[in-house]
Amino acid sequence: MSAQVLGSTSFERPRWLRILEPLGPLAAAFALAALVLFAAGHNPIDVYTLLAVEAFGSSRRIAATLSAATPLILTGLATAVAFRAGAFNVGVEGCIFVGGLAAATVGFTFVGLPAALLLPLALVAAVLVGSLWMLVPGLLKARLDVDEVVTTLMLNFIAISLTAWLVNGPLLAPGSANSATPMIADAARLPKLMPPSTLNAGFLIAIALLGLYALWGNRTALGFETRLAGMNARFAAASGINVPMLVIKMMLLSGAIGGLAGGIHALGNVGRFVAGFSPGYGFTGIAVALLGRGSALGIFLAALLFGALANAGATIQFFSDVPIEIVDILQGTVMVFAVAQLGWIFVRRRASA
Amino acid sequence: MMIDNVIHAAVVMTTPVLLAALGGLINRVGGLVNIGLDSMMLAGALFGLIVASMTGSWPVALLAAAAAGGVVGLAMSLAVTRLQANEIIVGLGFLVAVAGLVRFFLSSAYGSSGTLSLPDVARLPRIDIPFVADVPILGAILSGHDPLTWAAWAMVPITVWFLARTRLGLRLRAVGAAPQAARALGLNPLALRDLSTVYAGVMSGLAGAYLSIGVVGIFNEGITAGRGFIALAAFYFGRNRPWATATCALLFGFFDAFQIRMQGRGIPAELVQTLPYVMVIVVLTAVAVAGRRARARRP
Repeated sequence: MSAQVLGSTSFERPRWLRILEPLGPLAAAFALAALVLFAAGHNPIDVYTLLAVEAFGSSRRIAATLSAATPLILTGLATAVAFRAGAFNVGVEGCIFVGGLAAATVGFTFVGLPAALLLPLALVAAVLVGSLWMLVPGLLKARLDVDEVVTTLMLNFIAISLTAWLVNGPLLAPGSANSATPMIADAARLPKLMPPSTLNAGFLIAIALLGLYALWGNRTALGFETRLAGMNARFAAASGINVPMLVIKMMLLSGAIGGLAGGIHALGNVGRFVAGFSPGYGFTGIAVALLGRGSALGIFLAALLFGALANAGATIQFFSDVPIEIVDILQGTVMVFAVAQLGWIFVRRRASA
Repeated sequence: MMIDNVIHAAVVMTTPVLLAALGGLINRVGGLVNIGLDSMMLAGALFGLIVASMTGSWPVALLAAAAAGGVVGLAMSLAVTRLQANEIIVGLGFLVAVAGLVRFFLSSAYGSSGTLSLPDVARLPRIDIPFVADVPILGAILSGHDPLTWAAWAMVPITVWFLARTRLGLRLRAVGAAPQAARALGLNPLALRDLSTVYAGVMSGLAGAYLSIGVVGIFNEGITAGRGFIALAAFYFGRNRPWATATCALLFGFFDAFQIRMQGRGIPAELVQTLPYVMVIVVLTAVAVAGRRARARRP
């Protein structure tokens, strides 16, 4: 299983084609979902117009969309960082669970601390735990060449069950019947940017990280080495790059960002950790990273798209009888088409001409 | 008898995992790691139930479930082999998209959210073996099971024979191990790979139908409970050998039965649930360490 997913041939193609490339999978996915809508007796154009209005129609709606996009920016970034080094990390979902639980635990345990101390402490806990969660698959991949797809996939289920056990037993809120921790202290909450919207400071953290990622990828030696190792590990090794060490570093970084996504979700949105904490943010993050072709702007736009779909999908149910699941269908088909070589016939013809 | 109950439940819980794992095994031998088994199980579970209610016939329902799983398998395979898409991402995409399609279909066609209960569902019959049924333990192992369970276990030696002795089986192994060499011999690697994925879909579809018309009698969006991933764990753990894979499926079946029995008795079900996944990581690590030692010993 090679990890050549982030368009390694992009160097050879003209710039305009590279920019337009992600639109192909989007168009294909929206066309397929339109067929499903049509078959169920809905007018696809009406549904898509309604989705667009609900996602971007007013400042309140835009805030809700940005809020929904926040975890996806982070999970997309976490995935892209690992993909870039050639490590096929599908375990970001698990990092969200362990990171979210770590942040929530700090948030409800150290109630006496002031916000200036408690909030960073909770976020650092999420980052550390998420990062540690990726230590084993990173080491196994780098040192023993154990397939990281399988180990990280398995770790997702382990993380979900393990956290479910913790919030059912040791960390269960006293007097609570459902699987949840106590609410975090007010001092641990990420400040809201536009109350009453749930948009919070976590969005600013995500944007700042995206900016750092762009700088790191294009301007630093480590960013370049990572890209090289992801494109051709043997060539990178021959150029004197320590590829196994790089893979471990990038897996830890990926886990750290995934854990942060969980921490921000806990401290900014949910206010505690509950069983079933993430509705698949980690998996959507894979779609975001692929659709965004690993670039900072691409990740932002793709996360915005999926955030808009999730946000608008939840509200159109009140105004129409279109089932919200159309969003899942779109998301899944975008994932499939994002890695499919839709233009391969076109490219091959040009190459042979 | 409690031990009889646990054994019987373990055999029941093994069947869907075994069916899907044998399908995934063939698929992996053919060169495709199928992450999307769970989505094919889901399709099979839904269509198996609908057809079982419409026709009142369980064999027809099983055919429908197999077809539904096979269609999902074919679509997935074409995306991988013809559009050259990464198999892992396609598998994950199918998991999301098929789960969405199933729920979309349920709410559009039946106006229900996530659960479907239909009248007159034909259930899988139980085969009670006279005299054996009364023997403790042996009765629980052999008697009172449905035809699909028997078929699943019969498929284990058949899979061994297929891979070792038949022309198609050998070709499939060649395609999986060395696609270019297989092509040079005049085989069509893509078509054979598609065939193996359709087979994985058919087996997973049957596994899904086993859950909906064999075990529960209704459909629920969470009916597979991640068993497609347990099946993935089983054939990774069994390292593509049918009997080893079946043994793992049985072991996971026992965990499942044990965890249901132990609920409310102090052993947390959530921790038992993690065991199959932990075991896969441990085995993969052990295999890698052994492989490295073997290489180091070679001159």
